Amino acid sequence: MDTTTVAAKSVIAVDIGSTITRSLFFDVVSGKYRFVAFGSAPTTAGAPNFDVTEGIWRSLEELQYITGRALLSEKDGVIIPSTPDNQGVDIMVATMSAGEPISVVTVGLLNTVSLQNARHLAHTTYANIVAEISLNDHRTSSDRINLLIRKRPDLIIITGGTNNGASNSLLSILESIGLSSYMLDESQRPHILYTGNEQLQDEVKAGLSKISKLRIAANIQPVLGEENIHPAQTEINEVYKDIRKKQAGGLREVISWTEGTFTSTASAFGRVIRFLSEKYEPGKGVLGVDIGSDATIMAAAFNGEETLRVFPGLGVGSGSAGVLEKNSLELIKRWMPIELSDKEVRDYIYNKSIYPSSLPLDSDQVEIELALAKQAIRYAAELIIPGLPKQLGAGGTLLPYMEPIIGSGRILTLAPKRYQPLSVLLDGLQPSGVTTLALDQNGLLPGLGIVSETNPLLTVQVIESSTFLNLGTIIAPLGVARPGTTILRIQVNRENGRSFTREIKYGSLSILPVELGEKVSLHLRPLNRFDVGMGGPGKSGKVNAVGGVLGIVIDARGRPLQFSPDLEKNIKRNEQWRKTFSKYE
Amino acid sequence: MISKVKHIHANTSIKRERVLPVAGHVLVRRMQKVSPADVIVVAPLVPQFILLDIAQGLNVNPARADELLQRAAGEDLVQGDVIAGPVGMFQRVVRAPQAGVVKMAGEGKVLFEISSPEYELQAGMEGTITNIIPERGAIIETKGSLIQGVWGNGKITYGVVQPTSNEMLQELVVEQLNIGFRGAIISAGFCRQPEVLEAAGIVPIKGLILGSMSSSLIPLARKMDYPIMVIDGFRETPMNKAAEAILIQNKDKNIALNAQELDTFKGNFPEGIISQSSTTEPDLPSEAETLKAGKKVIIINGPESPQIGKIDKIISGKQVLSNGIETRLAEITLANEKSTTIPLTNLEILKD
Repeated sequence: MDTTTVAAKSVIAVDIGSTITRSLFFDVVSGKYRFVAFGSAPTTAGAPNFDVTEGIWRSLEELQYITGRALLSEKDGVIIPSTPDNQGVDIMVATMSAGEPISVVTVGLLNTVSLQNARHLAHTTYANIVAEISLNDHRTSSDRINLLIRKRPDLIIITGGTNNGASNSLLSILESIGLSSYMLDESQRPHILYTGNEQLQDEVKAGLSKISKLRIAANIQPVLGEENIHPAQTEINEVYKDIRKKQAGGLREVISWTEGTFTSTASAFGRVIRFLSEKYEPGKGVLGVDIGSDATIMAAAFNGEETLRVFPGLGVGSGSAGVLEKNSLELIKRWMPIELSDKEVRDYIYNKSIYPSSLPLDSDQVEIELALAKQAIRYAAELIIPGLPKQLGAGGTLLPYMEPIIGSGRILTLAPKRYQPLSVLLDGLQPSGVTTLALDQNGLLPGLGIVSETNPLLTVQVIESSTFLNLGTIIAPLGVARPGTTILRIQVNRENGRSFTREIKYGSLSILPVELGEKVSLHLRPLNRFDVGMGGPGKSGKVNAVGGVLGIVIDARGRPLQFSPDLEKNIKRNEQWRKTFSKYE
Repeated sequence: MISKVKHIHANTSIKRERVLPVAGHVLVRRMQKVSPADVIVVAPLVPQFILLDIAQGLNVNPARADELLQRAAGEDLVQGDVIAGPVGMFQRVVRAPQAGVVKMAGEGKVLFEISSPEYELQAGMEGTITNIIPERGAIIETKGSLIQGVWGNGKITYGVVQPTSNEMLQELVVEQLNIGFRGAIISAGFCRQPEVLEAAGIVPIKGLILGSMSSSLIPLARKMDYPIMVIDGFRETPMNKAAEAILIQNKDKNIALNAQELDTFKGNFPEGIISQSSTTEPDLPSEAETLKAGKKVIIINGPESPQIGKIDKIISGKQVLSNGIETRLAEITLANEKSTTIPLTNLEILKD
């Protein structure tokens, strides 16, 4: 559809990140929606400003300077809607990730079932679980009351009981929640999200609605073994917004500019990944990874079914110490192609966490940051993979087949060498089969996600305008062989009729010379029962591919990647991989 | 580009909020002079509750238990006071397990708050109370020297500051920790050995201010009973010259050391405050300023950190670093007259 057939409207999507606030400008160019430019400025949600509007204002000033279009007026603030002489903007939307994670207490009947559901739900937003309560924790009612008063959570998530299932046991826990909330100052009472046995909803309302800010969602586990997270996910996002409105100065003003079109960055990120999965390659999933200063977001979607997980405190800026503390120095150093002492690496990571905006000054420091990013993604991937559909692709501890995989975050977009974002995503995620790695080079995903709610045409047209940088088509065969064994024959047929063939050996990483944007047809013939995602082990097939920044990458290193306990051997091998990539930088 | 101001000031105005997260009883009044140990506000920080099942205790149904209640919400009780009963042949009663207050009663249960010692929030610094925050605490203002750090082990103290040498260039070693430092807040260039932190605890010192520290010491430093503040970062470099000068000039004066954990979002930095009598009225320091020629800056990352210099020029447009990163740079003259170029992102403004 052409935008001349609809009422075309210019849009500014603001993302209030933990370090940077960005304002993205979209408008109609030659009959289609296009991303035009962005402005950015330091986020001012925290000290000393404690007012998000300051950072937004500065980012809009930069956008105004870049586009030459007046967006701000001293008298009225942001000019909404646009004027006939092209000043201002028609629609403004906003997303936010800045701020401390909300503190959550999860409550369920059994640790292994309902608490697991509650954890999944809490992890779909910027949240830290500060305590868990279940029937099998052997706490008395008094213990529970004291725990809740001591923790003073922002949110209590209550799950438990299938519909028509257990009720009495859950009611005894609800009594403790009600009493503890009542004992707190009204201003400190937690939000409560009930997503348990639907038969108890009336009793929950009667008992808790007058004491706390109660929300009720459909049962997260209506029948045993079946998780229905999405209704509760919508509600937890509403809770997040309520909490942020209370905490973040100026946010109410922003919400009035956006007429309520405001959500968490993670929720918007998940939404656009879901949107993409509905639109493209229904046979595979779509994966999005955003690695930020403080948090990492991972969103996967299969035919519109989304799995979202937010990892607060796991990032490459203020969250870099979190990567080290959740993993180990050894797990970070294993990705490095150079030898640096433990002290150098550890000190750099801790300094980065206290000075998150500081830049690496030499190549060694760049390698530390890339290794941090790889391990952050690996950590996140290992936690999200078990919850993804197993029937698609490798399953188990390996990523299912995905097409495409989109990475975002300044560590990727500002990487000095062109191969570095691909290397981070490839090593961190370790995809298998045939996929495309793309880079959200302008950080549009959250903006496109929130816009898709009201203007899906904009999202579609901007995505189709080659806004994502194709880093490379990846072919990663799965199987086991001795290093050096031929496991795959590839015939590359170019559009001009020329072709060439390559034999791929197990353990290798190689690049097929295909120009950026060049369309080729690949004939893949796996040997030794290797699987390239063509329907099973040993199955051949044809696939159309487009060359990325690094052409077509054949990753025959095996899955999962193996590391030697000998640090020197690892360094040599990492250096060899880096050399393979750096030929194409 | 706007940069954070690193607060290292020989003479400035300082304003701090000292509040509890729960409602309590404020013990100070406006314009009152306070010293660090003075209590600002008291409150039961973590109240303890017991949910008493009266119906079960009396072996009756909840409705009957409510009829047998002898106490109402709000009543203060001492240990052993009867809450409900008597009932039955053996005149069963439910008694208060400890001294406390009945908070709620009904449906056969009583929620009972146990009397617990109140938490006392101290001023933590010398100064004057300039504002009361009802039920929560107060705002204290003073004039003096301020040294802001980047890492703290979460502890707080007040005492005499004693530099371990006249130049904080050197590593702090066990041999320096003599009995003369007992009860003092000592300052030194850097620390990299765990034995030093342990030996300092044995002396015992009252607090430790370091220019830098090896990050491998973080877990141990968190366990130490005395406050530890790191001013510049995690490395093995001397203390920045501005902080060094303040600490040496104020040798044997009292310093309020609040080695709270860094929380940049809330604006909580570890810090040391040395109150000074002053006839001037310095302004409160700004929190952020634009980097431009003439500004005094401190380098926060790289081999030249934590040297102090002056911006000669902001180079126009983005430049490419040796590692390929494109960024804005400033030309800086360091205190030793050497010139260098540093990314703007790796600078913080320093005000005298």
